[in-house]
Amino acid sequence: MTVVYPILVPLIAAVLCGLVRNNRPLQRWVSLGATGVALVLNVQLLLVVQADGIQSVGIGGWAAPYGIALVADMLSAIMVTITAFMGLMVAIYALDDIPEDFEANGYHILYQLLLAGVSGSFMTGDMFNLFVWFEIMLISSFVLLSMGGTREQTEGGVKYVIMNMIASSIFLAATGLIFGISGTVNMADLGSRIHRLAAMHPVLVTAIAMLYLIAFGMKAAVFPLFSWLPASYHTPPTSVTTIFGALLTKVGVYALIRVFTLIFGTVNVMWLAQPVLLIIASLTMVTGVFGAVAQYDVRRLLSFHIVSQIGYLILGLAIFTAASLAGTIFYLVHVILAKSALFLVAGIVNKNYGEYDLKKLGGIYHNNVALSMLYFIPAMALAGIPPLSGFWAKFGVIRAGLEAENYVAVGMALFVSVWTLYSMTKIWTYAYMRKRPAEYDRPKIEMSAGSFWLRWGPTLAIGAITVIMGIFAGPLYGMATEAANQLMDPNIYITAVLGGSN
Amino acid sequence: MAGKANTKGNLYWLLSLLPAAAVVWLFLQIPEVASQNYPTLTLNWVPDLNASLSFRLDGLSMLMSLLVLGIGALILIYASGYMNGDEKIGRFFAILIFFMLAMLGVVTANNIILLFVFWELTSISSYLLIGFKHSYEESQRSAQQALFVTGAGGLCLMAGLILLGNAAGSWELSEILKSGDAIRSSNLFPAATTLVILGAFTKSAQFPFHFWLPNAMAAPTPVSAYLHSATMVKAGVYILARLSPVLSGTAGWFWTLVLVGGFTAILGGWMAWQRPDMKKVMAYTTISALGILVFLLGLGGKIPTEAAILFLLVHSLYKGALFMIAGAIDHEAGTRDLNKLGGLAKLMPITLVATFAATFSMAGIPPLLGFTGKELIYEATIELEEWAELITIAAFVMNFFNVAAAGIILYRPFFEAPAEDFDTSHVHEGPWTLWLGPIVLGVLATVSWFFVGSDFFSYQLFSPAVSAVYGKTLEIGLYALPPYFNIVPILSIITIVTGFAFAYYHRTILGWATAITTSFGNAGPEAGYFGFLDWMLWFTDKFARSWQNGLLRRYLLTVFITLTTLVLLPFVLYGDWSNINLVVTGAPRINEIIIALVIVSAAFWVVRFPGRLSAISALGIVGYGIALLFLYFNAPDLAMTQFSVETLTVIIFVLLLYKLPRYKSLTSTAGRYRDAIVAGFVGLVMFGLVMFVTSVPYSTHIADFYIENSYTLAKGRNIVNVILVDFRGIDTMVEIAVLAVAGIGILALLSKSTGDIDESTLMIQSLIFRTASRYLIPMILLFSVFVLIRGHNDPGGGFIGGLVAASAFVLYIFAYSVEETQALLRVRPGSLIVSGLLIAVSSALFSPIFLGETFMYGAWSTFEVPAIGKLGTPFFFDIGVFLVVIGSVLAIIFALADEDENLHVDRPNRKPGGTL
Amino acid sequence: MNVLLAAVIGVLYATGVYMLMRRSIVKLILGIGLLGNATNLLLFTIGDVSRAAPPIIHEGDKTIEGAVANPIPQALILTAIVIGMAMTAYAVVLVKRAYQITQSDDVDEMRTTDVEV
Repeated sequence: MTVVYPILVPLIAAVLCGLVRNNRPLQRWVSLGATGVALVLNVQLLLVVQADGIQSVGIGGWAAPYGIALVADMLSAIMVTITAFMGLMVAIYALDDIPEDFEANGYHILYQLLLAGVSGSFMTGDMFNLFVWFEIMLISSFVLLSMGGTREQTEGGVKYVIMNMIASSIFLAATGLIFGISGTVNMADLGSRIHRLAAMHPVLVTAIAMLYLIAFGMKAAVFPLFSWLPASYHTPPTSVTTIFGALLTKVGVYALIRVFTLIFGTVNVMWLAQPVLLIIASLTMVTGVFGAVAQYDVRRLLSFHIVSQIGYLILGLAIFTAASLAGTIFYLVHVILAKSALFLVAGIVNKNYGEYDLKKLGGIYHNNVALSMLYFIPAMALAGIPPLSGFWAKFGVIRAGLEAENYVAVGMALFVSVWTLYSMTKIWTYAYMRKRPAEYDRPKIEMSAGSFWLRWGPTLAIGAITVIMGIFAGPLYGMATEAANQLMDPNIYITAVLGGSN
Repeated sequence: MAGKANTKGNLYWLLSLLPAAAVVWLFLQIPEVASQNYPTLTLNWVPDLNASLSFRLDGLSMLMSLLVLGIGALILIYASGYMNGDEKIGRFFAILIFFMLAMLGVVTANNIILLFVFWELTSISSYLLIGFKHSYEESQRSAQQALFVTGAGGLCLMAGLILLGNAAGSWELSEILKSGDAIRSSNLFPAATTLVILGAFTKSAQFPFHFWLPNAMAAPTPVSAYLHSATMVKAGVYILARLSPVLSGTAGWFWTLVLVGGFTAILGGWMAWQRPDMKKVMAYTTISALGILVFLLGLGGKIPTEAAILFLLVHSLYKGALFMIAGAIDHEAGTRDLNKLGGLAKLMPITLVATFAATFSMAGIPPLLGFTGKELIYEATIELEEWAELITIAAFVMNFFNVAAAGIILYRPFFEAPAEDFDTSHVHEGPWTLWLGPIVLGVLATVSWFFVGSDFFSYQLFSPAVSAVYGKTLEIGLYALPPYFNIVPILSIITIVTGFAFAYYHRTILGWATAITTSFGNAGPEAGYFGFLDWMLWFTDKFARSWQNGLLRRYLLTVFITLTTLVLLPFVLYGDWSNINLVVTGAPRINEIIIALVIVSAAFWVVRFPGRLSAISALGIVGYGIALLFLYFNAPDLAMTQFSVETLTVIIFVLLLYKLPRYKSLTSTAGRYRDAIVAGFVGLVMFGLVMFVTSVPYSTHIADFYIENSYTLAKGRNIVNVILVDFRGIDTMVEIAVLAVAGIGILALLSKSTGDIDESTLMIQSLIFRTASRYLIPMILLFSVFVLIRGHNDPGGGFIGGLVAASAFVLYIFAYSVEETQALLRVRPGSLIVSGLLIAVSSALFSPIFLGETFMYGAWSTFEVPAIGKLGTPFFFDIGVFLVVIGSVLAIIFALADEDENLHVDRPNRKPGGTL
Repeated sequence: MNVLLAAVIGVLYATGVYMLMRRSIVKLILGIGLLGNATNLLLFTIGDVSRAAPPIIHEGDKTIEGAVANPIPQALILTAIVIGMAMTAYAVVLVKRAYQITQSDDVDEMRTTDVEV
């Protein structure tokens, strides 16, 4: 059952929230309790996987490949753990952030189902089932995004919804096609069959892989498919933006990693997929950071940075060595934390000073050192300054790139790194260092002690972890390396799911 | 700033005891280091990346640590006086000490990754310190500039160190220094060297990256004294010195360092004497000194290395002192403008003493330490095998400017008459904290002739440091005054005399010199930096606006072009088409062809029809056509689902869209052709993929398992239904959640309704229809339950049953009203959804809780219930599905119908939107 | 037979994609509808279309002997159809809401979140 908990807990929580949907305090306690329990259970799963290797269970007692298997390898276990952690943190922050009418309209149900969708996507060992988890995650995010019903949310929502629906239909078509040549949708089964099929029909299998690249690439927001993200991510309340920014695109990245290691990780596909991924990764990093440099709205700026960081993540996949994948996995966890901390801080600043616009902010460093550091540390982590989490992430990917002799892509990554630093100091200069322009200089809006801790608690915790992850990077990087080693040897996964016979 | 007498002193200077104690400890280690017993400390850190917490104190590290901590202690004392009364003094000390530790890390790290970590930390603390006076625009700009330039260099250094580590096969400095041959034979050696040099040059302010350093003078003076002259900027020199046993010896290394260092030294000297701001004079002489150091390291060899190490020490001492002096003057006199200052000799006597010592050392007056340093420089250039004359002349120019600057700093503030608008009446000596540092450093430079020749200094401190850079153990005896007489002391004397003379007369050529400098400055690297920055900001803004232009159709066009390109790419690039072999399976029958033609033409009607309702109808025909295909090819469940879903979809579309305005012709003809071509390609690509896939033999291993075991193991005859509720039950579980969320979401969205009610009617005002529906509804509902129950064995199931049941209520809405339908239903759709989900999840949890089996394991009763058969958890699961489908569909329909006036009975009392 | 179905799929994709790139929100929604149908038909076609028996085990039998239509694509499509309906319904309502707020049925007018006005 350990393997089922990551999806079971949020599913049950959603139903419970539904049962008590007219009781606001009770809904909140259910939501908090469930995310807390999920965190404990997922950490436990991670420890089990680390100790005993890949865990797999066939739902309903039907063994893979006939039933749907939930599979926890190191990557999945790491991802559901960070999901549960972010789930808990944002659930706490949301208590102060989410308007009352959101809660009356089922916010907590949707939030739990979103987490279920994300965790399910990480855990499932079945391609079609992945589609289904994607869809529950997506439709929950659709609703959460446009729940406020403002003009911005609706317009952003239209682009988000349409483009993601198209991505889903491409994903579905690709799954149909791969089922058509292999007769299976079980990932381990696909893994063991596609290698042989790719040798016989390299062009066809590569074309299908390209469809997956488009579908997951759209969800991961890679260049040139990312436009839905900066169009919509800055419109909902902070906690919604944060959980989106933390998890949704990462599910796309996870899916890319999964299919391009387990299923398409053969030379008969990678001959094309690897250069394509390299190009996409480089352009995503560059275009994302270019978009960010131009922005003055903090949330927009950070949204473009999500895109840019996705480029780094894909770069680790594209280099396609165990070292580079370890870098990417460490990067994944790091970027989820650092980016979330920054979004949450932006929410606190907005609560205190009533603005997201850098042109209208200022003076925070003078008035509020604690809040300044709450921004500065994750910002430097994102910029890859040692010894924070981002440094090891960046260093790992770049070192792997140099070892694999991908000099151009590494050069671009370094170039982008400079501009990431630049845009982090841009926020720092405008909102924190300089005096607030006189025409916008309003008194700080004080929060009640309750609001303060609901917002500061999670933000502080996440920020602290970017530091801890950097200083005690050893064991964590060890886990990332272990996860990467599993990915680079798909037979471990296939054997764990299908048994020794295959 | 003047008149701080009313502010009480503070005790921050006590913090200096920490570095002072460390200095004492270091001194005790000197003999050990000299005998090559290097104190080391190694701890694991990130083993997967070869990063370790590894420290090692060899000769070079020892010398650098002494400088960092010794000058650091004095700076902390100085800062406690200088920053006295500043409300952010605590923050200042925190960052300064943070920097001190980082710098100590740089010079003692034995692992190159660790070294880099500390390197970056010095950049960040420097950023915070330059921007300490954060509300000034100058501070903001200078801090960002320094971080940007050194940060970019840092990334180069990182790449360089990675290449180096890979080439050496080790990331420990002590090992890397032993594997010089392996590194030099690597084909990445030039790249690694270049990258390391770039990192060092940005940090140590070498041309063309030097411009950030004078701007960094925006920092409070203790920072300028410590970071931007005595320690941090030496980090670049340190890394070059550190790695020179491995990297030096090539022509590239020689010429890059000698030319860039030499040019930087002369440029810094040229700029220095023209500045009226004392701190800027200092900044440019620092650039000049850093240039000299790089130049000497470039020359390589024994004597240049000695010269470099000694000059590094000398410069740190006198420049630290001079910066503190400039700050003290600024602090007490309220200005550091040389054009205003004057006559301070009588007013600040202690400071004057310190200034004498520091400037004499800077000018190289014997027997001060600076003299020995200068001697070694000339010795180094004269003994070169090639280019000796030219390089000696260059060295002379560098030294000459240094002497000149020293003369100006000594003469103008202290002995010149003050400017008329400069009021000297309130100027007096500062508190002890402000003069202690300069005095100590000045005394050290002066009394050096006592200890320079000593065993302790020459053999235990200096020689080990030189050896570390030279790569071989050397024993060097230093002297305070030369024991012999040759060209070198003559050169020294000429330098001093001409330099001081120039200092005295420099104002005669100041005018045209400044003019030249300014004209070059406009095209210099700093102008380039700002030009590039402005261009980037302009470009990124343009890019963001044009790429993220807000046009959904542009975004979609991009997606579809990318899709077509990437899918066609393997076909174009692979080259070998021999194994592509399309197969046509079976001939279609005439009725299939007719259905296909109907679908195809309906699809085109959707595109071509000018009216919205007709287009929606055409879409309906496409859907029904597909349902017919499903029926023909033996998919009864699918056909039923497709029929009911298509009907619902059409209803939803009509309810929502018929009020929208008529189509307008919005896109240009060319745009339409472009879109049509792209769309055509997508269609072709998908056609091709389907053809390819259907030509490949299909494996039935999983389908066979289902057919084989559906009845025997899962107790159901309708295999599709068994797959849905049992084999792949979790798909369905999530799917009903999707449906539930759609219902919740639509309710939420419409609760934000503007309250606008559409005027036109959809209600069917027919008595026959009303009467008929009243009798039909119980029958339809009964039928839906029948469909649900039989589903496990015959076409049907929860989905189809739910859709049928929902359609009964939809019918009722159209015949009567939303309210009457809600009354008929009695429960809210939200309750149906939630109870459905509850039943589904509970049925899935039954087996794990009561039987200890897996999640969703199908548990079956041994008895049979009439009309149903055996009871099992999949059956209850299907009931959950049934309820969620009814609830969600009704939520959607109620919410949508809500906006339609004629579907309501009593409009005035109604609240907009539904509730969950 | 696969040619016939593949052609229908191709046409549905082409028309759907074309409609998605129009500026009218109604056409956008119609495009989504066509694309959904195209994908469902694709799923159906690739699993060996068969005129044999439907995948239902007769009363009294334990299994089906001989040729039978592949049940897997049918089950997958059933799930996909329902999910598609849910998604489409939400999209339609959202688009309608966007129309009510912006008072325009032109998607090009809905760009306040991308371009700073």
